[in-house]
Amino acid sequence: MTKQIDFVKKRGNKPGFWFFKTSLKVFGLSGAYGLLYIVCLYYLLFDRSAVSSSMAYIKRRFKTYNIFQKIYCIYQLFINQGKHLIDRFYIISGLGEFDMELQGYDRIRSLLSDSKKGAILLTAHVGNWQVTMTALKRLDKSVYLLMSPEENKAVKNALDIDSDQGQVRIISTDDFLSGAVEVIKAIDEGNLVSVMGDRSEGYDSSEVYFLGEKAQFPYGAFSIAAAAQCPVIVLLSAKISPKKYMADITRIIFPRYSSRDKKHEDIRQWVQEYAGILEDYVTKYPLQWFIFRDIWI
Amino acid sequence: MQTNEPQDLEQIRKTLKEMIVKDLSLEDIKPEDISDDEILFGEGLGLDSLDAVEIVVLLQRNFGLEVKDMNKGKEIFYSIDTLANYVYENTKGRT
Repeated sequence: MTKQIDFVKKRGNKPGFWFFKTSLKVFGLSGAYGLLYIVCLYYLLFDRSAVSSSMAYIKRRFKTYNIFQKIYCIYQLFINQGKHLIDRFYIISGLGEFDMELQGYDRIRSLLSDSKKGAILLTAHVGNWQVTMTALKRLDKSVYLLMSPEENKAVKNALDIDSDQGQVRIISTDDFLSGAVEVIKAIDEGNLVSVMGDRSEGYDSSEVYFLGEKAQFPYGAFSIAAAAQCPVIVLLSAKISPKKYMADITRIIFPRYSSRDKKHEDIRQWVQEYAGILEDYVTKYPLQWFIFRDIWI
Repeated sequence: MQTNEPQDLEQIRKTLKEMIVKDLSLEDIKPEDISDDEILFGEGLGLDSLDAVEIVVLLQRNFGLEVKDMNKGKEIFYSIDTLANYVYENTKGRT
């Protein structure tokens, strides 16, 4: 379980977040959205790494598009991510709320009430977890978020991560073993642990087919779930109208090894199942997957 | 040599071997086939990173122990001896 360190350029700084927070308070939601069109144009023109990493996804999702259409998709992707970030500020600042549709609540509620154990919420860089977390309150479980230590303090502070008032707690993945220990402990205590399943970030991964080509997805969530014997609930959210989000928790995977010899094959199959679910998602909401990495081999 | 060691340590080694064989579903291997100094991962017993996660769970659930540091984990999970010493050192004195 080694981790390769990749250099990833950080975007977003304190003045930038202050600018959007202030714009939101002064001009409202639509006004802040409007400013995004200028800011995102800057990134489209001058942030080559952001454009090329987005192109890896866009060219596979929109195979028949010409180069200009693909670049326009990238521009929309940037704008959508900006809108999601502004929506988070909007909620945190108490300026208003978004409607939320939680799909699959009853089944998950019954699954969790039948067991003392918690579960892993396997998600992706989609939607808006600030809104999703509010919806998950209905499950009456504590939610932990497994993530890399957020080096960019501006992002962490701006998004109210791990503060006393925050709704989620962070489990650091700086070291896989400590992450696994904390995740298993949280699950044994009946909590939910949210894990990102679409960026390997240097952790061990499986090669599976995604959008017709081989791609790498991390498998840590499945190896932990198989060891802890807990379910993996796939959680994907999307913005479905200007003031409404949905979170889908209808797909559940129960990782259990079939035999010792087939452990790695079992893992690959679970990862492939997750990739298939994510592929359905990007078919429906193509410009709300903010992967910004080339995960293809 | 073994007579000078605490009885608990020998018992811990036996428990660990039984646990590893049973919970990691090691086929064609009996607990007594594993020597105390056999390397657990890679060329030795052939355990891999997926097994490491399961051993973390076994230590947590059976002994209430948490191995949180990857570098220490590598040393602790090296052999039955190193694993047993870690369990012994961290559980002695418990009632």
